[in-house]
Amino acid sequence: MKIEATTALVLDDTGTLTIAELVEQSGLSADELQVLVDCGALEPRETTSASWRFSRRCVVTARSARRLRDDLALDDTHALAIVLRFMQRIEALERELRRRGWEGGIGNEER
Amino acid sequence: MKYKDYYAALGVPRTASADEIKKAYRKLARKYHPDVSKEAGAEEKFKEVAEAYETLKDPEKRAAYDDLGRHAPGEQFRPPPGWGQSFGEQPAGGASFSFDDVDLADLFAGIAGRGRGGARRPDMPMPGQDFEAAVRVSFDQAYKGTEVELDMAVPEPDENGFLRRVPRKIRVRIPKGVTDGQKLRVPGKGGKGANGGRDGDLYLDIEVQAHPLYRAEGLDLYMDLPLAPWEAVLGASVDVPTPAGRVTLKVPAGTHAGQKLRLSGRGLSRADGTSGHLYAIAQIVVPTVVDERQRALFTQLKDASAFNPRAHMAD
Repeated sequence: MKIEATTALVLDDTGTLTIAELVEQSGLSADELQVLVDCGALEPRETTSASWRFSRRCVVTARSARRLRDDLALDDTHALAIVLRFMQRIEALERELRRRGWEGGIGNEER
Repeated sequence: MKYKDYYAALGVPRTASADEIKKAYRKLARKYHPDVSKEAGAEEKFKEVAEAYETLKDPEKRAAYDDLGRHAPGEQFRPPPGWGQSFGEQPAGGASFSFDDVDLADLFAGIAGRGRGGARRPDMPMPGQDFEAAVRVSFDQAYKGTEVELDMAVPEPDENGFLRRVPRKIRVRIPKGVTDGQKLRVPGKGGKGANGGRDGDLYLDIEVQAHPLYRAEGLDLYMDLPLAPWEAVLGASVDVPTPAGRVTLKVPAGTHAGQKLRLSGRGLSRADGTSGHLYAIAQIVVPTVVDERQRALFTQLKDASAFNPRAHMAD
């Protein structure tokens, strides 16, 4: 029997999720998401509109936040936001390091 | 059913207090949590630790676990007769009930919250569990998009309400342009919801196999472009590979090592039409073996040139 294929959604910077959808997919409450937005750990796509819209990438961040909250007992959402900001900075630095390595800025002498 | 030693997983004695168990879990969770640890095998280790803690933190589940007796880790065993009666877990099937394909973690998941004030109402809508799976694709599959078939063993309640691992095949269409480490969501392909609750989702962790030439960063691709010294000095038209086929790249005269030459729109592309670039990073490669004539020509060049590559180091 042929099984129908379901298209996977890439959790990247596309898509426009409502806060209700983000609550459903992340397992965080709307209040917790609000704190993460206020602290800059989550960035809505359009901040001007009356209701926030999020990219699909925010699902990854919010689910990561929920895991950290549950698994490491990080109950203070403000502390959680700081941890997330640090994780995002590490990821950005790792990306930069990789890119520079490829462009010959770092590790060129080893080639 | 295979035995797992939850106390050993947390590194605590069987007599450990609830507080000691919590402390041991916290310490190991900080070390191995997949969101914070880059250690090899951290995720597997964390799953073991989390599974052990899930049972041992709950006095009722811990008592039920202790009642199973001690066995060697990995040993096939059956719970003793009458096990679970005090937790309302004795299956209706009696002697015909088989524990063979029951996972220990699923067995304890069924005891959750029973007989306590916090227990859920039986008719309350319960969303299905989210599943996670790792998917490894080749560079070409990531570039073009592909379909994968996943063979999963998912927990589903049997007629007695026991969770059992049942095989499930799921076909997933992976859109083009995915990159290593990216996460994908397959809506509704997680566990079944109960009492009208929504079905869970399936989350995929994409691993793209390394390509011998191309490295991806977002939608952009990078590749090294080795050039002979005379190609770099004089400029050249060189034949280079791209994922979509070979093209001619014009190398400008005076190209230096590390210079980025952009092949516009030749990176990864997404279904929505956005695409990245392919960057060829110039590398100047010198011949290690030269014959008499070439040596003479290089010497001639040396004598004719006033070029000082270390001018910035001069006093």
